[in-house]
Formats: sequence, C-alpha cells, structure tokens
Amino acid sequence: MTQTDHPAIARTPRRRSRWNATDLGLIAVFAALVAGSALIAAIPVGGLGVPITLQTLAVMLTGLALGPARAFAAVGLYLLLGFAGLPIFSGGRSGLGVLAGPSAGYIIGFLLAATAVGWLAVVVLARTANRTGKLRGILLFAAAMVSSIVFIHGLGILGMMVNAKLDFSKAFLADLAFYPGDIIKNVLAVSIALALHKAFPDLLLSRVRTADTRP
Amino acid sequence: MSSHGFLLAAYAPGSSLIHRAPLWLKFLLVVGCGMASFLIADWAVSAAVLALLCGLFLLSGAGPARLFRAVRPVLPVLAAIGLFQWWQLGAPTAARIVLNVLICVVAASILTATTPVQALLDGVASLARPFRRFGADPERFALTIAIMLRSIPFVAGAYMDVRDSARARGLERNPRALVLPVFISTVAFARQTGEALAARGLGEPEDPEE
Repeated sequence: MTQTDHPAIARTPRRRSRWNATDLGLIAVFAALVAGSALIAAIPVGGLGVPITLQTLAVMLTGLALGPARAFAAVGLYLLLGFAGLPIFSGGRSGLGVLAGPSAGYIIGFLLAATAVGWLAVVVLARTANRTGKLRGILLFAAAMVSSIVFIHGLGILGMMVNAKLDFSKAFLADLAFYPGDIIKNVLAVSIALALHKAFPDLLLSRVRTADTRP
Repeated sequence: MSSHGFLLAAYAPGSSLIHRAPLWLKFLLVVGCGMASFLIADWAVSAAVLALLCGLFLLSGAGPARLFRAVRPVLPVLAAIGLFQWWQLGAPTAARIVLNVLICVVAASILTATTPVQALLDGVASLARPFRRFGADPERFALTIAIMLRSIPFVAGAYMDVRDSARARGLERNPRALVLPVFISTVAFARQTGEALAARGLGEPEDPEE
C-alpha cells in the first residue's frame, strides 16, 4: 500500500536535477492548485446546475499544462503531503487512512493519469505543431479521455474491488456514475489547456516545438 | 481560508507517551494497521483491534470529539458499503470490511493528531535524504513543499475572487468563466514565484549537468 508512494518520493527529486526555479514554482503551485480544487465547493454547470467537483479537472489540466515529468512531480507532491496528514484530499480527508477507503484507487489513479495525459499531450502538440484549432483540441480530448478511463476509472474500480470487496461488475457499475461529469471536465480541461498554452507559449508549447525541430 | 489555519486542524497539542513517540514508530503503526487490514479474517479480531486503537487515540488526550471528526468523512460511504455487503455477503463479512477500513483511518489519525504539522513535513522532506546519491536535493524538495503550502491559500482565494466576479457578470453557471481565470492567474503566480526564487539564487540546481 505505502510502497506506491515511495517510488514517487524517490523519483521526484532525481528527475528534477535539470529543473530550474520556474519549474519548481510551477510544480509547487500546481500541487497547490490540485489541493485547492479538492477543497473548493463543487461548481454548478448548465441550466440544471449539476454540481461538478474540480479535482479531476485540476489533475488533468496539470498533465495537459506541464507535460509528463512535471505533472508527475506536482501530483506526486500533492499525494505525498496528503498522505503525510494535511487535510487536502476531497472532503477535507487526510492521512494514509484514505488508502484504506474505497476511493483509494482514484487517488492513486490521479498520479498516473496526469503523467499519461502529459505524455500524450506532448505527442499531440508536437504532431500538430503546424495545425491549430479543432484537430488539436479533438486529439487532446481523446488523450484526456483515454488517460482518465485507463488510469482513473481503471484504478478506481480496482480500489473499490480491493477495499470495499465489491466484485468487478458491481464496482464497474458504481464507477459509471462518474463518466458524465468526467466527459464535461475533460472538454473543459482541454479548452482551458489550449487557452493556457496561448497565454503562456513557453509553458510547454515552445519546449515541444524546439524538441520537434531538433533532428 | 486566507491563513494556514486549516492545516493545523488535526493536531491536538499534548505531551502524552504517544506524542513523544518517534515519528517512524507512529508511521510503522499506520503501515502495520494497513497490512493487518488485509490479513484479519475475523470481524471479532477487527473489532478488538479497532477498540485498541480508539483506546490509544483517547490515551493521547486528543479527545473523543476529535476522534469522531477524524472518522466522520468516511462514515456515509462506509454505511453504504456496509449495508450493501450485508445484503450481498452477510453480516460478519460486512462488519469485517467496514471495521478494517476504520482501523486504517483511526491509525492514521493517531499519527496526525499527535504530531505537529511541521514535524510531519520535516519527516516528508527527510524522505529525500537517502536518495541524495541519486541526485536528489533535500533542500530543493523542502523548498518546493514550502511553496506549495504557501500557495494553497492563494488558489482558494483565486477561486473565491473569480466566482464573485463571474456572479457579478451573471456567468455563475458558465464553468469556463469560473475556472479559466483561476488557472491563468495560478500559472502567472507560479512563474512570478519561480522568478522570485531565481532572483534570490534559490531553487536552481547546484551543479548543472549540461
């Protein structure tokens, strides 16, 4: 159980050897953003005002905005401090106790999903460097959906099976309730990520471009 | 949420034996309970272990109100699981599942109720120390933790401000108007923080490899 977060600690500083002060600032502030989004009340969406929580939105955006390595560090830092006892998990929960709860899989899934979507985002941004607009948005949305289905929903189901001892079909059904909100959140995340990259071209975009033009 | 006050909520100051126990021992207790929750097969054993842990919690002088506050967030979902598994698997198994989760939650809250936040964070920062030979930098790690803690109130404040201004414009149902400005100002804040660190010579890698 705890082994899952220890590699995170180990890898976080090791990969950071080439990160400068701005990267550290981005990692720390995005970790705070995930924490803040978990603490903030759900926002109403659309005419009916269906409330959606912002945490998965913040996690996916961390990946889309920062790319895989820094997103891994940011979400890893958030998890580490939450496990250490800061009340920054959703609903003000904290500590290693959450790993025993039925939502443990989702929490671990955040780390892998942010990393995966960050990696896919870099691939998409590099491949669509000369084309902007719709195609890029659609591909980023596909990347976000694949990452959240495989990691957040996959591990979420696994967590309910392990901790609540539900069998697969029941855990799968319980997890289905999160899909509509997740689709809305991923659409929102991609639209915000595109706006962020427009506002801050050197956040990830220029890194991708330089990597792309290099033979 | 404009201060760091919310971070101190779980800690109960005191000088009991548990307060004075070393951090690693309390951490081992939490890990041990996590392992035990997978091994215990009898609900009576689970109940006994839970009672023991609750006794330990109360022994620290943190009080029953704090114990209830630590457990309260998981109660609704545990009630749902308990009832469902009672129907599916029978009462003893349902009781064991629910009690085993409670064991982990109470064990973890013993750690957080008897350890000051600063000691916990120092403990986390010291986790990087064994990895120094692989290029880890405990000081930069601790610095990043400190910046994150300082930024949580900023993020919460940004959400409040943006929500107020969206409401003023009649956009409180528009998720983009509620969220995008928060992320823009957060990224700007992160980069200002990075520049402020760089200007003070903090946070840069000590010996660049390139």
